[in-house]
Amino acid sequence: MGILDKAPMPGKLCAVIFLLDTSYSMQGAPIGTVNEAVEKILPELVSMNDEQPDSDIKVGMLTFDSEVKWIFGETGLVSPEEVRDSWNDLNVNGATSMGEAFSALNEKLSVKHGFMKEASCARAPVLFLLSDGEPTDDYQAGLQDLKENGWYKYAARVAIGFGTDCNDEVLVEFTGNRETVLHTDNVNELKKLIKFAVVTSSKVASRGKNISTDAENLEDADDNTQKTADAFKAQGSLIDNDDLSEWGAL
Amino acid sequence: MKLADGQTATVVDKLGEGGQGIVYRVRLDSGEERALKWYFISLIKEPQRFYRHLESNIKVGSPAPEFVWPEQLTEWTADGTFGYVMKIFPSGYESFSKFLTAHAAFENVTAMVDAALNMVAAFNALHSKGYNYQDLNDGNFSINPANGKVLICDNDNIMGHGEYSGIEGKSGYVAPEVVRGEKQPDKLTDRYSLATLLFMLLVGNHPLEGARTVQIPALTNKFEKKIYGTKPLFIFDPNDDSNRPVRGLHQNAARMWKYFPSFIKDAFCRSFSQESLLNARGRLLEQDWFHVLVRLKSSIAQCPHCGEEIFLESDRPTVCQSCKKSVTPVGYFKFGKRSNLDVTVPIFKGVKLYDYHMNSSSEDFETVSAVVLEKPGKFGLQNKSALRWNLTTAGGKNYVCQPGAVQTLALNCKIDFGNRDIAQVVANS
Repeated sequence: MGILDKAPMPGKLCAVIFLLDTSYSMQGAPIGTVNEAVEKILPELVSMNDEQPDSDIKVGMLTFDSEVKWIFGETGLVSPEEVRDSWNDLNVNGATSMGEAFSALNEKLSVKHGFMKEASCARAPVLFLLSDGEPTDDYQAGLQDLKENGWYKYAARVAIGFGTDCNDEVLVEFTGNRETVLHTDNVNELKKLIKFAVVTSSKVASRGKNISTDAENLEDADDNTQKTADAFKAQGSLIDNDDLSEWGAL
Repeated sequence: MKLADGQTATVVDKLGEGGQGIVYRVRLDSGEERALKWYFISLIKEPQRFYRHLESNIKVGSPAPEFVWPEQLTEWTADGTFGYVMKIFPSGYESFSKFLTAHAAFENVTAMVDAALNMVAAFNALHSKGYNYQDLNDGNFSINPANGKVLICDNDNIMGHGEYSGIEGKSGYVAPEVVRGEKQPDKLTDRYSLATLLFMLLVGNHPLEGARTVQIPALTNKFEKKIYGTKPLFIFDPNDDSNRPVRGLHQNAARMWKYFPSFIKDAFCRSFSQESLLNARGRLLEQDWFHVLVRLKSSIAQCPHCGEEIFLESDRPTVCQSCKKSVTPVGYFKFGKRSNLDVTVPIFKGVKLYDYHMNSSSEDFETVSAVVLEKPGKFGLQNKSALRWNLTTAGGKNYVCQPGAVQTLALNCKIDFGNRDIAQVVANS
């Protein structure tokens, strides 16, 4: 009977966008960690799409060095499968055009032209900035435009800082929240952070409202970055399976 | 990990991770394997109270075998972390989410309808025990696509009447009155969630997501509240067509709704009427769903033109959605009403009656008790039950049909199935 041949339920778009610093200062271990973590997170995003009927994760990926380039997403967001199947390790090169990257993101975060063209009941986008936080261009110009963008405001913004000399202040300016600026040089931990932020975003935005008569307090209610920060805190643990033995003594 | 009964549970590996905690495979001293749910303790508001709540649910016991119920808690420790053990999911089950993403599909129509019946029966049992679920959504149950058997997990938020777990519930599944902040989850709000899940199971889309919701770019709290709370509108609302499924997007709803017989459409229209959505009135009880769904199950027939399985209406033509030809049965069995709902079965070759039909107090929708047979010029009913049937013709003649025998059916005759549950044979003109 044709009634058994069902199509997938339309999931609500959950845009996961990476801004990846590929400038020279990321050379060595930092870019290696980024490469490895991205490669490892992709299959997880694929399986999350299989398991969550109400969210449809799509990916955009921008690299910024002397040049700013959408390595995935130039013509629209793509499925995690597509990224997984054509992923190549990134190499470092040149200066840190972070401001230009912010402008490029601002341009794409739009219903008229860009990633949100077909957005319908979209969940909060998850914006990841992976960088050592040392822009070499005028990042403020790009950032100020971005901050006016409704999708940016609605998004869950997370930054991962690399290196001991990382300039956190720039990253905090991007996230607008110190609590979602995190540091790690461990691949598995980074992978977990990314996954957790995506899961949290698709969940925070999909939770019903608290029992409350405070109906119009929407500014706070939609601070998805703060919700992500709260979830990071509540989660408490991002350790890997191998560490289970340390938990045995409970 | 020490369990409350003194046994030790040793972690073997990780089975999964959810919003509330991590589930591990553990081995008990006895060698048996169990699943251990270990809480992210920081997410639980009053751990000690929650521990006691679980303790009490364990003591009362599982309402039905479908519930993967907590069996035992880990010992209460000074740092307040804990978990509980439960049975490990048997193989062959797929999470309901996988059906919704089309990564799993039922093997046959009977299995799909049985899944709906098993869900309804499980929630009937839960509510009959005085419990309510509070956080019913696509993530907390699994279905066997071969036979429609259902397993319900995440049973830790189940509460007794009047208690509130503090759970927010998953949007889209939560009753509108909860979304609006008017009340806390209870039995009545569970019923809304159940109707939503049944709609998604059978029709394959969300009942409130259609043309109206497509226009909303981002699901901010404001819009979320509007769609699911203050301005909800059923996609097939008979009085307002402004939220109909959108072609190419809500493909299943647009295509599948036509497959269903009128009594199923009526049940959904009632469940998602403005009265139900805005005033929480008129929702079907689990037993109502049960009768409606058994009626659906005994309407499964094969299209005589193309051989596809169809849901055949008893008293009116059904258009086969595969070959677009119309099928009308010669007549139908009309049983006494149950919960004030019609019980009918079309007289059509191959249609099955169940123990449910033999006895008005039976809830057995699996044991086949009779099958409709056809020969040129006549229909018969084969007795697959252990009961002796008595048939009385319109003219007052009596016939007895022994188990295994076939009873020829006549216009306006009455069949007593042995438990004084009498069906009348009604002809379609």
